[in-house]
Amino acid sequence: MVSTVVLDLVERIGAVSVGTIVEVPLQPGEADTVAAWCARSGNELVSATEDRAVVRRGRPATEAFFYDVPPEQRPGARLWLYTNFDCNLACDCCCARSSPKAPRRAIGVDRICRLVAEAADAGVREVFLTGGEPFLLPDLDVVVHTCVDRLPTTLLTNGMLFRGTRLAMLRRMPRDGFTLQISLDSATADMHDRHRGAGTWQRAIDGIGIARAEGFRVRVAATVAPHEANTDAQAAFHQKLDGMGIRREDQVVRPVAQRGFATDGLALTVDTLLPEVTVTADGIYWHPVGADHDDQLVTHELFPLRTAIDEVQRRFTEYRLTAAVGAQRFPCA
Amino acid sequence: MTTRPLMIGAVAYTPNVVPIWEGIRDYFVDGPAQMDFVLYSNYGRQVEALLDGYIDIAWNTNLAWVRTVLRTDGACRALAMRDTDLTFSTVFVTRPGSGLRDITDLKGRRLALGSRDSAQAAILPVHFLREAGLGESDVELLRIDTDLGKHGDTGRSELDAIRAVLDDRADAAALGITTWEAIGRDELMPGALEQFWQSPTYCHCNFTALDTLPAERTDPWVEHLLAMDWDNPDHRRILELEGLRRWKRPDLAGYASLFEAVKQQEIAARW
Repeated sequence: MVSTVVLDLVERIGAVSVGTIVEVPLQPGEADTVAAWCARSGNELVSATEDRAVVRRGRPATEAFFYDVPPEQRPGARLWLYTNFDCNLACDCCCARSSPKAPRRAIGVDRICRLVAEAADAGVREVFLTGGEPFLLPDLDVVVHTCVDRLPTTLLTNGMLFRGTRLAMLRRMPRDGFTLQISLDSATADMHDRHRGAGTWQRAIDGIGIARAEGFRVRVAATVAPHEANTDAQAAFHQKLDGMGIRREDQVVRPVAQRGFATDGLALTVDTLLPEVTVTADGIYWHPVGADHDDQLVTHELFPLRTAIDEVQRRFTEYRLTAAVGAQRFPCA
Repeated sequence: MTTRPLMIGAVAYTPNVVPIWEGIRDYFVDGPAQMDFVLYSNYGRQVEALLDGYIDIAWNTNLAWVRTVLRTDGACRALAMRDTDLTFSTVFVTRPGSGLRDITDLKGRRLALGSRDSAQAAILPVHFLREAGLGESDVELLRIDTDLGKHGDTGRSELDAIRAVLDDRADAAALGITTWEAIGRDELMPGALEQFWQSPTYCHCNFTALDTLPAERTDPWVEHLLAMDWDNPDHRRILELEGLRRWKRPDLAGYASLFEAVKQQEIAARW
């Protein structure tokens, strides 16, 4: 018996608009024919089982899958660099498992210089430096200048080390195109200190004051466990920061991610996280909350960076495609 | 004074015409001649709208072009066409082992044709048979009119003609080259079909305007249309959907065979 699956494909695909899914029944041995026809005709084989093939008309532009994501948050717009993993604190909510005992695992100035240059060429709009505590690095000011020379840069810190040589290093950092993001979880010391250690809240408050006095733009970011989140606490937090002169757009409240040391918090997987390409000394990851976690590893190869960015965008598009197919296949009404 | 956008007519033979024409309209937004579009359900209605002045330009099939010329005594002009419209052709296909090797072998055999208003799958195949010395009494014609009104644009009647061959209701089928390409020629259905004859090339669609539409209105529009660039991703998306790589100026000689066929077969100028 002659296979007529190609006739079915031409007829059904021809009757729908680009981006629409059609299904065709398959006889044994026809899956390869469908794949060949799709490759030849510029349509997309979404899936093929023993008795059914799902085909999408055309290959929709990648843009179509990012329509609801602001340009500055689209995969590849932001680059996160884990400068190091060691830290002066051992917060129980740390997604990177950082602590004074954690090995440094620094990326190093030379690689950061190359990464940021490649990032700028690949369309990255903004760099975020995080750790660990970056201020443990003796050459952090060089790292910051390297980044700011190419792209707007934000440095995440606990703000507790602005003394002596590290204060001098802070003072050598640029003011333009550069933001310090300091962690502060609550309006009062109790909650912050419960997760980060006794006395840390006051030292973070002092650090915010020093950074602002030195002329830096300061963003303050709280990390809040689900059971501790309440509107009164949040209102008090914003009131406190308002009083310190922190602009509302620089007041950030994030939930704890169930990653690293955190046993409570949001469960995050690659197919539920909008990716933000993240580089550590060991590889490139899907998102900063998943750095140091194998399920979010994209590649161990740091260079060329564009290859990893392309791969993250490809996977993200694939997840969205899969979700769209599900939505088309299972209408509820 | 603001010039009214040129109104282009097109036939909605697939839902895809909406993104195609929205894309073309958007391309013209920043150009020297803005345009909008109207979709018709069949070419008869579209040509009437062109003659009545409801639209300025019609995206016509070759048969719609011929009828417009006949209805206006030639007071119309073709503005542009796709590169693929310049080299259109008809192929005759059959089952391997049918013994058909040339168009003349169809004497005494059954030929499946597409919709009777399809130039590529009905009108011109009959014309080519006559040129080969075969009258309608020499070949048993199986007419499959499954997409009448759309001049074969949907390809549906040609697919049905192929099914007629595979079901042994016909010995051969007449197809437009685009349908033959769409099914992967004889490569994706091995052992099922083979081409045994291909016609000379002829022209297919074009943008048609009446002579009453001044050149100063059409010239900037045509120039901007011809500037669409395959290497520009935004343009390419539209060009791929419409099935071309470049817009071209028309070659009216490519319609000679269809004019002759319409005359010989006494196909009416009106619908």
